[in-house]
Amino acid sequence: MIENSLNTINDKNTPSSDSLRVNVSLLDTLMNLAGELVLGRNQLLQGVYSDNSKATDISSQRIDMITTELQEAIMKTRMQPINTVFSKFTRVVKDLCEQLNKSIDIIIEGKDVELDKNILESIKDPLTHLIINSVNHGIEMPDQRVTSGKKSTGKISIKAFHDAGLVNIVISDDGKGIDPQKIAESALSKGFITEDQIIKMSEKQKTEIVFLPGFSSSDKVKDHSYPDIGMDIIAKSIENLGGVIEINSVPGAETVIHIKLPLTLAIIPSQIISLGSERYALPQINLRELLRVPACDVKNRIEKVGNSDVFRLRGELLPLIDLYKILGIEKKYIDTEKGIESPDRRENIADRRSKRHLVINEKDIHEADTSETIPFKNRSNDRRVSESSATNIAVVSAGSFKYGLIVDDLFDSEEIVVKPLGKHLKNCKAFSGATIMGDGKVGLILDISNIAQMADLSELVEERKMAKAIEDTNKVTDKSAILTFKNSESEFFAAPLSMVQRIERIEASDIELVGGAKVMQYRGGALPLYELSQIGNFKELSQDKLQEVIVFKVKDFEVGLMVKPPLDAHEIVVKLDESTFKQTAINGSMIVNGNTVLFVDIQDMAKKLDTERLQGKDLLVNKKTPKSDKTILFAEGSQLIRDEVATFLNEEGFKVVVAEDGFIAWEILKDMSDQIDLVITSLGMPNMDGFQLTKKIKLDPEYSHLSVIALTHDKTNNNVDESDFDYKIKYDLKELTNTISKRLNLI
Amino acid sequence: MTHTLIDNSKDVELSTFYIGDTICGIDILNIQEINKHLEFTSVPHSSDDIKGILNLRGKIVTIFDLGKRLGLNTARIGKNSKNIIVNSGDEHIGFLIDEICDVVKANRNDIEPAPSNMGGVKGKFFKGVLKTEEQLVGILDIDVVLEES
Repeated sequence: MIENSLNTINDKNTPSSDSLRVNVSLLDTLMNLAGELVLGRNQLLQGVYSDNSKATDISSQRIDMITTELQEAIMKTRMQPINTVFSKFTRVVKDLCEQLNKSIDIIIEGKDVELDKNILESIKDPLTHLIINSVNHGIEMPDQRVTSGKKSTGKISIKAFHDAGLVNIVISDDGKGIDPQKIAESALSKGFITEDQIIKMSEKQKTEIVFLPGFSSSDKVKDHSYPDIGMDIIAKSIENLGGVIEINSVPGAETVIHIKLPLTLAIIPSQIISLGSERYALPQINLRELLRVPACDVKNRIEKVGNSDVFRLRGELLPLIDLYKILGIEKKYIDTEKGIESPDRRENIADRRSKRHLVINEKDIHEADTSETIPFKNRSNDRRVSESSATNIAVVSAGSFKYGLIVDDLFDSEEIVVKPLGKHLKNCKAFSGATIMGDGKVGLILDISNIAQMADLSELVEERKMAKAIEDTNKVTDKSAILTFKNSESEFFAAPLSMVQRIERIEASDIELVGGAKVMQYRGGALPLYELSQIGNFKELSQDKLQEVIVFKVKDFEVGLMVKPPLDAHEIVVKLDESTFKQTAINGSMIVNGNTVLFVDIQDMAKKLDTERLQGKDLLVNKKTPKSDKTILFAEGSQLIRDEVATFLNEEGFKVVVAEDGFIAWEILKDMSDQIDLVITSLGMPNMDGFQLTKKIKLDPEYSHLSVIALTHDKTNNNVDESDFDYKIKYDLKELTNTISKRLNLI
Repeated sequence: MTHTLIDNSKDVELSTFYIGDTICGIDILNIQEINKHLEFTSVPHSSDDIKGILNLRGKIVTIFDLGKRLGLNTARIGKNSKNIIVNSGDEHIGFLIDEICDVVKANRNDIEPAPSNMGGVKGKFFKGVLKTEEQLVGILDIDVVLEES
């Protein structure tokens, strides 16, 4: 038995046989086509010699058709059903089951799918090992299966099918799956990745660690005759065939391995691209999508992270690789007037996409745009200004790694014939081969995964980390929801949406004058109405028939602010300029949609205008809650929220120490450990987020007694593991006070 | 193979050509063809002495700048520039040369060992030197020339 199984393994190692069985009828077709080709050639030659363009046309059309048919027929001779490989698996599984005392059914589908003989031979090895892995590591022992509520007999299914011009092979088992956490830990202990990386990885990315070279998570299964081969080697051999391998797993339930292979190695569909006058072929299997970024958008969508460019594609940051730079070709631009080529003066694609645009500053963009339209003489032919100045990006993927290649032009998709490069060009890693283009010139075929490596993957990983950090910062600030409104035609204001209770539109006649103050009826009481001219040097509100009133809630009181439409809610990055317009009840200014918008500090405004009532309230608060001996540490990335909450907590009678991020909070905590009574943290922060901070606090015996309240203002982010925190509350100041009081045993 | 030719037969036929001012020769039996396709596709990251690649009836041929390869000046593409395509192992390799000259028949006995330096080219590249009435022809050892540096 063991001898038999060894033979099965050894079969793979025997050199591929040099003869091939071909159907006679197929051979006849080939012969027939060859005859046709000769006839076509004769016609073509005749047409050319006699200068008869019509005859040339007809014969070239004929040769075109014959060539296609010939290509297909010859391809067919190389095609063999995948069953030649699949049929062996039943035996492999059966042998292994007997040795390991497991019980497994194997289901094979799509036996008739045909693949190029070469691919078929090369795929035999990796596929067999995938099956062996499934049996060894995937399917559990029968008794284990029964305990976990599965049938005692495991199931491995192999399926082959055609999809999108590729052959797909799916191997799935209903075994114990792959635990991403376990993989990540194992990778960490072996030093493949760092702790920081793990935190940023998705479950799928963690699972894909198994593809890392040299990584093997499972204990080796000994005592049987089939060797264990790591997933990394399997993945590599699939990639060498021009294929793609993906792994999906539900821990405890199943593992699904999806392999996509080209039909043949000899002819591959490719996207033709160009750099300057040279054309290159980009294998379709690596291509995800093509993007054309118009010149006016380039600045907004291509950002600079460190020294490299990233592109914001549907919310994801895509690292960009400039093919010119990677291939070390001098960039040229063609002077359309003089028709001469000269070196491009730009040093990199981002030279006018400066670093400061990381933070969107609308005014800058406007200025830049206007300057662009001024026709500088020496700039008029610069390719960035002309229509063709759009940037073309080919989004490609190598394994699970995705990046954008910046190219000059995109041409057609063509089926290209792959030709190997000579041995003297073996060290040109950027190319996997060459092909002959329609005009007889040679084009090089780009090797997408090697190019990623040449761009220094580690650098890219670094970039991605940085990009991620930037994204995180954006996330923190992004979430500030504001309400914008006008006081007069040219005065724009904003207030935090969280303070807004209602927006009312009332008739001017509904406004009553009581004791010199304007009020309106609201929920059975009188709502004091103010306008912005009362708090600063702003225009008096014009009298209209209809009046917009924003009802703000300040502590337990409501105040109404009369404003002019349009009222609009935005979610924006709030970066306040706190110097130019800073004054009472105004926090600062910022450019929103091209207008300078002043941010109204509602609490300050209410305090200034509604002195009596609020002072009464303040007294009340102070009497009711003598909490002032308690100190709260508040970590929050967004300044707007930090100020707002800190002010609020102050007024509630707490001492507040603020920190801009988790790291600073931790430092403060260490310095003032005996004074801090409670920690409030937001979740998303730069450097150290709320989760990490909480973990640190909870793990340190000195601080573990502290209550940590997580404050989230992202209504969508509900998938937070609440067990980490004592409390998690949405951004609701009233609830926050209650929670704090409860935690500090003040009630 | 060329060695055996020089050793065992009396006559050798050499195809001679100019690289700059130096006349070199290659055993004609090594030569596949001489052509004038000068539209190379340059290969980024390849070594300096590789001019590019060429489509030779469906085969990709690597073209060397022979002058540069031998440590002389870079070949300038002019009206007399040609490619000499030679067989090397199982592939074709091309040499870009400045000007092609005659085919010279030489007696084995007239071939002398190469000096350590000939017109600026290291002696190791030559199998020998042929003295004709007018000039010295260096006979290139293709295997050495194509050896990976």
